[in-house]
Amino acid sequence: MNALPDSHPDDPARPARWFARGMRAAVSTPGLVLVATFIGFGGLLHDLGFPVLAGILSTLLVWALPAQVILVGGLAAGASLPALAVAVCLSGVRLLPMVVSLMPLMRGPRPRLLSELVCAHFVAVTLWAEGFRLLPKVALEGRPSYAVGLGCGLTALSMTGTAIGFYLTGALPGPLAVALLLLTPISFAILLVRNARQPVDWLAIGLGTAISPLVANSPGGLDLFWAGVGGGTLAFFIARYLPGRRA
Amino acid sequence: MSFYSTELGAMLVVIFIGFLPNEVWRVLGVLFGRRIDPGSAWMQWVQAVATALLAAVVARLLLVPSGALVALPLWLRVGAVGSGIAGFLILRRSVLAGVLVAEAVLVAGAWWLGVSP
Repeated sequence: MNALPDSHPDDPARPARWFARGMRAAVSTPGLVLVATFIGFGGLLHDLGFPVLAGILSTLLVWALPAQVILVGGLAAGASLPALAVAVCLSGVRLLPMVVSLMPLMRGPRPRLLSELVCAHFVAVTLWAEGFRLLPKVALEGRPSYAVGLGCGLTALSMTGTAIGFYLTGALPGPLAVALLLLTPISFAILLVRNARQPVDWLAIGLGTAISPLVANSPGGLDLFWAGVGGGTLAFFIARYLPGRRA
Repeated sequence: MSFYSTELGAMLVVIFIGFLPNEVWRVLGVLFGRRIDPGSAWMQWVQAVATALLAAVVARLLLVPSGALVALPLWLRVGAVGSGIAGFLILRRSVLAGVLVAEAVLVAGAWWLGVSP
């Protein structure tokens, strides 16, 4: 396809226009649900006494709410930093298949490593789902700019949500402050159910939930580690070797 | 007081304990994406661990909650999330509907119990 002439080779405004279109597409129902969950995260930050700017920075850099909740929750619970790094790392595994499956749609006609890394940074569950919905309608040469615009739009909205949640939670009356703090667990629970397709997924959800209270307060703040690795490994072997269960 | 209760200390923790361990997977996805088979046993195991970990995070948020949620009884916290999941499944798998159902149950319960943290 190298012989294909670039339609507007000397129009520098084109990538910017794709970027702007992507950014506008961030304002959508999934985008607003995302903002609501980050408002909940802001409330959590306030509750745990985590500094607000560092919390907003985590939305920009980590850009994966489960990892962020594990990080600030673990710090508040007194987990050791290496154990937290391991738990954060394990929670991010689901990003790899998302990047692998969405990258062909984000890559554009001339793949460049740096542009792919920037695109990949914005991959999280919302951009992944929205990417599959929106990117096929975008012209091939505009896709990297569009994806980054969409990612920047979602990130900017979520950083705003984080700040709003942080300052709102102290000002809200009781039942509403409670509602704010429920946003994180309810959105994660729905996310788990939505993504569960095979028996191994349901087993992992059940075992992770069941093991979590058993290992609460385990030394070194390793409770998430045990529930995740233990529950996940059990689920994997049960689904794989139990007779009659062929997913 | 620990050093991450200051903005600078917390930012360093966010970068080294949050950003880098998490970003590894995105970089690996770009570098080796075409060579990794998502269906391999190794990836299935890793995926199961990630799912169990997220479920454990939800369980911990509900069982050992922070702040204002402590004032609510466990059955209300669990019941709200349970009805949210039911709402999601019944109402055309809409995330927004599920979240709204859970919030409605929680706020109604908190109001009925007269919770004022």
